[in-house]
Amino acid sequence: MTMRLAAAELVESREILPGQWLQAYHAPTIASGSRAGQFVHVRTGDFSGMVLRRPFSVNTADLATGVITIHFRVIGRGTEWFTRLRAGDEIDLLGPLGRPFEVDPRSRHLLLVAGGLGMAGVRMLADEAIRDGRQVTLLFGAASSREVYPSSLLPDEIEYVVATDDGSLGHHGFVTDLVPEYEAWADQAFACGPSAMLAALARQAEGRRGRLGVASLGRKRGGGRGDPAGSPAARRKAFLQVSMEQNMGCAVGACLGCVVMSTSGVPQRVCREGPVFAAEELVWEGAWS
Amino acid sequence: MKAKRRVIMSSGRPLGASRTPRPPRRRPALATVVPKPKSEPRSSAATSQAEAADAARDVEIDLSVDLGRGLVLPNPILVASGAFGYGVEYGDVVDVDRLGAICCKGTTLKPRIGNPTPRVTETPGGMLNSIGLQNPGVDAVIEKYAGTWAGWNVPVIVNVAGESVSDYVEVTRRLEGVPGIAGIELNISCPNVGKGGLQFAIDAGAAGEVTAAVRRATDLPLLVKLSPNVADIRPIARAIAEAGADALTAINTLSGIAVAPGRGRPLLGNIYGGLSGPAVKPVALRIVYEAAQAVKIPIIAIGGVTELADVLDFLSVGAVAVQVGTAIFADPTLPVRLVDELSAECRRVGVTTHLDLVGSALPNRAGAPSAKGVEYRP
Repeated sequence: MTMRLAAAELVESREILPGQWLQAYHAPTIASGSRAGQFVHVRTGDFSGMVLRRPFSVNTADLATGVITIHFRVIGRGTEWFTRLRAGDEIDLLGPLGRPFEVDPRSRHLLLVAGGLGMAGVRMLADEAIRDGRQVTLLFGAASSREVYPSSLLPDEIEYVVATDDGSLGHHGFVTDLVPEYEAWADQAFACGPSAMLAALARQAEGRRGRLGVASLGRKRGGGRGDPAGSPAARRKAFLQVSMEQNMGCAVGACLGCVVMSTSGVPQRVCREGPVFAAEELVWEGAWS
Repeated sequence: MKAKRRVIMSSGRPLGASRTPRPPRRRPALATVVPKPKSEPRSSAATSQAEAADAARDVEIDLSVDLGRGLVLPNPILVASGAFGYGVEYGDVVDVDRLGAICCKGTTLKPRIGNPTPRVTETPGGMLNSIGLQNPGVDAVIEKYAGTWAGWNVPVIVNVAGESVSDYVEVTRRLEGVPGIAGIELNISCPNVGKGGLQFAIDAGAAGEVTAAVRRATDLPLLVKLSPNVADIRPIARAIAEAGADALTAINTLSGIAVAPGRGRPLLGNIYGGLSGPAVKPVALRIVYEAAQAVKIPIIAIGGVTELADVLDFLSVGAVAVQVGTAIFADPTLPVRLVDELSAECRRVGVTTHLDLVGSALPNRAGAPSAKGVEYRP
């Protein structure tokens, strides 16, 4: 669906974790057109103070009710402004924006990896995968148990595994420590979180084909090296897809503010070519040096 | 309201006196007739008051702006370079054919990958950007977009940047004669590599030199964008006008820095960024005010336009048109709405062209520029 400007009415707003909010907005055109991985660009009510919109992943979208949710942490004046909205208040959304996750139709087992607020980036993919009859394991990493996303807000059908930096809940360590265990089980992996986490996942994914001896699997269809970088087909064939974050201006590809460096040497726009990229399309270290 | 000062166009004709039919536009991309506002059908049950209002509505408001060399903007609300990409990005959200003109993303001779990230950040009442002129190079821009532009009614002005006079000239030569390109806006806030990296825009000699060189290379309408990062804008504006520019655009961004919260380091990957948005409007007003007293060519103002009042402010300090930049990110529909609001404002105050509102804040005699001291009066 093409992007559009839509007025959205706040249905519900609550603080699900300290400083983290989940808000539901009635925006039927956006709910029906959104796919997992896409985002909305939201205008604050105070233009002269805050000149930029704020991008939020579409956390969930309910076709039946026309409600989308966004999940954010209060990190500045913009996010603070959103928490002051009350049910019935209207905001202005631009969306859905960006390219979604692409699941290979043959993939049965999806590994989702989220770090902190990265949950918002992959949350909707869990819904879509379950709807399509796939099995989902969601690995989640946070600093401590106080910041662990409540399992009550996730679909019952998924396996939810938690890691905390301080060991206060689940695995004591990084969420990436858990990944090798699922490497063989997973047909594809989808991740969103801090860039260090994504870079670590990209390194882990790099050697996977060789270790598992599946190097030729993806090449049987489509005649090998064919799909142009950034195409949906290229992402669909990738084992690891990542949802990237970057400071953003326009969110439609006009300002070139939100780029990440690709292996082709041309910066790619997170808002347009992303936010979802195949991990192998991106340069993870020394991109600008 | 009566303009205290008449802005003289490049044809030597005062603006206020040019309400007779304008010369036909010559460029193919601009050949389509400018749509006039439609008058609404009268209701039979209208009261005399409503009839009076209707009569006022019937007055044709002419918002066109003649920049010379055949470039007549259908209205004075342009979109600024960098804020609107190549005109295609906003898709159906913006009806581009209702804009006065589109200034496209800065274009260089060779492709540029731009600056390290982060490239943008919000600041109080504005934003800093340091895109670093990422663009695919002039040839790719022509190949990808000129065909689309040629199909539009809206004039597309290509913003040209370079690191040497020959860069600017070469980019201009390649744009010359391409259907769909209505004019050129020189971004001279670039380091002149041949002169130790000093920006063209901060030196009257270099600004005049690059303008003159491009002028010799093209018959395209030539706009030159002023930098606010200078002590005195007047000699620079004069040098550019004397070198043959058809119009000035002002202002480019103000140089600034942001510090990453809680980290004590520069936030932007490039350290320096350009400040834009409502925060820069007073500076833009001052520069336009000073430049308007220094030159006779038209001035297009840029800097923090977010509502009709801002447009009127810039007209009153001598601009004949404005560009909307940063505000587009928050409200992409703003420029088109400003066209309607300006038209309505002209009706309200009883003028048939917004050009009658130009220059009302300018002094009768040239005042002391800010370079002579802002708060201190001798």
